[in-house]
Amino acid sequence: MLSAAGFAKTWKYIELFKEGLVCTVSLSALTVLFGFFLALFLAVFRLSDINVFRFLSRESQWRLREKGGFVYAASRFNPVSFLATVYVEIFRATPMLVQLFFIYYVLFAGVELPSFKLFGFIRFDRFVPGVVALALNSGAYLCEIIRAGIQSIDGGQTEAARSLGLSQWQNMRFVVLPQAVKNILPAIANEFVTIIKESSICYTIGVQEIMYAVASTKGATYRIAEPLVIATVIYFCLTFPTSKIIAYFERRMSRGDKR
Amino acid sequence: MATRDNIIQVKDLKKHYNQGKIKALDGVTVDIQRGDVMVVIGPSGSGKSTFLRSLNLLEEPTGGSIHFGGMDITKKKSKDANGNLVKVNINLHRQKMGMVFQHFNLFPHMTILDNMTLAPVQVKGMKKDEAEEKAKHLLERVGLGDRANAYPIQLSGGQKQRIAIVRALMMEPEVMLFDEPTSALDPEMVGEVLEVMKELARGGMTMVVVTHEMGFAREVGNRVLFMDHGQLLEQGTPAEIFDHPQHPRLHDFLSKVL
Ligand SMILES: Nc1ncnc2c1ncn2[C@@H]1O[C@H](COP(=O)(O)OP(=O)(O)OP(=O)(O)O)[C@@H](O)[C@H]1O
Ligand SMILES: [Mg+2]
Repeated sequence: MLSAAGFAKTWKYIELFKEGLVCTVSLSALTVLFGFFLALFLAVFRLSDINVFRFLSRESQWRLREKGGFVYAASRFNPVSFLATVYVEIFRATPMLVQLFFIYYVLFAGVELPSFKLFGFIRFDRFVPGVVALALNSGAYLCEIIRAGIQSIDGGQTEAARSLGLSQWQNMRFVVLPQAVKNILPAIANEFVTIIKESSICYTIGVQEIMYAVASTKGATYRIAEPLVIATVIYFCLTFPTSKIIAYFERRMSRGDKR
Repeated sequence: MATRDNIIQVKDLKKHYNQGKIKALDGVTVDIQRGDVMVVIGPSGSGKSTFLRSLNLLEEPTGGSIHFGGMDITKKKSKDANGNLVKVNINLHRQKMGMVFQHFNLFPHMTILDNMTLAPVQVKGMKKDEAEEKAKHLLERVGLGDRANAYPIQLSGGQKQRIAIVRALMMEPEVMLFDEPTSALDPEMVGEVLEVMKELARGGMTMVVVTHEMGFAREVGNRVLFMDHGQLLEQGTPAEIFDHPQHPRLHDFLSKVL
């Protein structure tokens, strides 16, 4: 299985692993960045108060009908929140690999991406669909994290903001979101760790991340165990310190709250 | 019809839950006049908070009307002073009604100064330095001039509530609503908050105050409302309410709290 000769052979391709490391880190970082903003919108949509069928619950002069009954339920229907919910549920209920293939082979089939190489080696036309697929997927998960963060903010904050005349959006922007994001920073960092690991799936569409280096080395040397050991070490060195740092900040922040 | 002194007219206000099974407000009619210090008393669950919160539509009533500034703010559209049908902009009306809560609800991620300048700058478009000038002036007035750059967590309850009051005053409201502003405070801090409220009343501010501080009601209030089961059972001057209560439930209530 593992042998010194095998490692010696594999080591000749160590450059591929270095490139893979750079690729994995940029893939994950961009994914969290785009995924976060997507999630922010999804979460705000899910929690929005846009009732286009509100008129159903209105009697003469827009008086609010009392709660209960089918008409009332229908009047509360919020299409924006509904669509955001459908999105989140679909992306959380289907395999990442299916989503990735869909986006790479179907969505990007008709898109002519420039074929230049990022950092001189990352193929742009593979990298972009990879980021898109990962970001769309993690956006769904981050949405639920952000939603929980928003809901954890005391309702009194919103009442105070609204009673000062701030609009629903201003309240979100200046009062609720800044507090919510601070609370969920550890959870977002955890999602970053998850994405570092899950980004390995992108090797199936030819993104040159760490697993791609494993596959290439295997093809050239007919060794699999040694490249896998190297990949494992790299992944571990990426994720383990990251989670330790998160845990440290989490402890420090909760101490601040109790003061 | 609206007389000149009436600032808020509440007519047959209702707030029902569960298809009318719970009547938090069950037909409240009252006029609030400019300069009034109206104190609302009543047992727990009688609808005091619901009444107060309905006034700036933090609760949406299920019946009745609230006229403020000549418009029925419970409607989507209302006739303005000139008789034109215009859209009711609730954010605009809320700017004119300051509200102070039992639990202060300061924004913990902002300094005291930012707490106070947020709404004037974002909502009224006031210049930042102008707003800060005004905030510092108000802070001086409530004896907290040196705390402008502190965060809410660094303040005592009484200090927080005084900040909450001047934060609302930054918008130069026509009416101030208080929902049990001293109930969450340690006893030794109640006085400093009531002092600020008295000062406001002396300055002629129109106030609606839900409180259990009967001393304050008697001393500062010019009208007292007694509520029970969502209804306004009795109203009058403090002397009438406290010295000559008519309704048996008011008798009962006063015997428990005084
Ligand atoms: N969202 C709600 N759903 C159902 N019932 C409610 C709701 N909000 C309030 N109520 C009911 O409405 C009634 C009036 O409540 P309100 O908070 O106005 O009373 P209160 O006089 O302010 O009492 P307290 O002195 O305890 O603050 C209560 O019986 C309460 O249970
Ligand atoms: Mg109450």
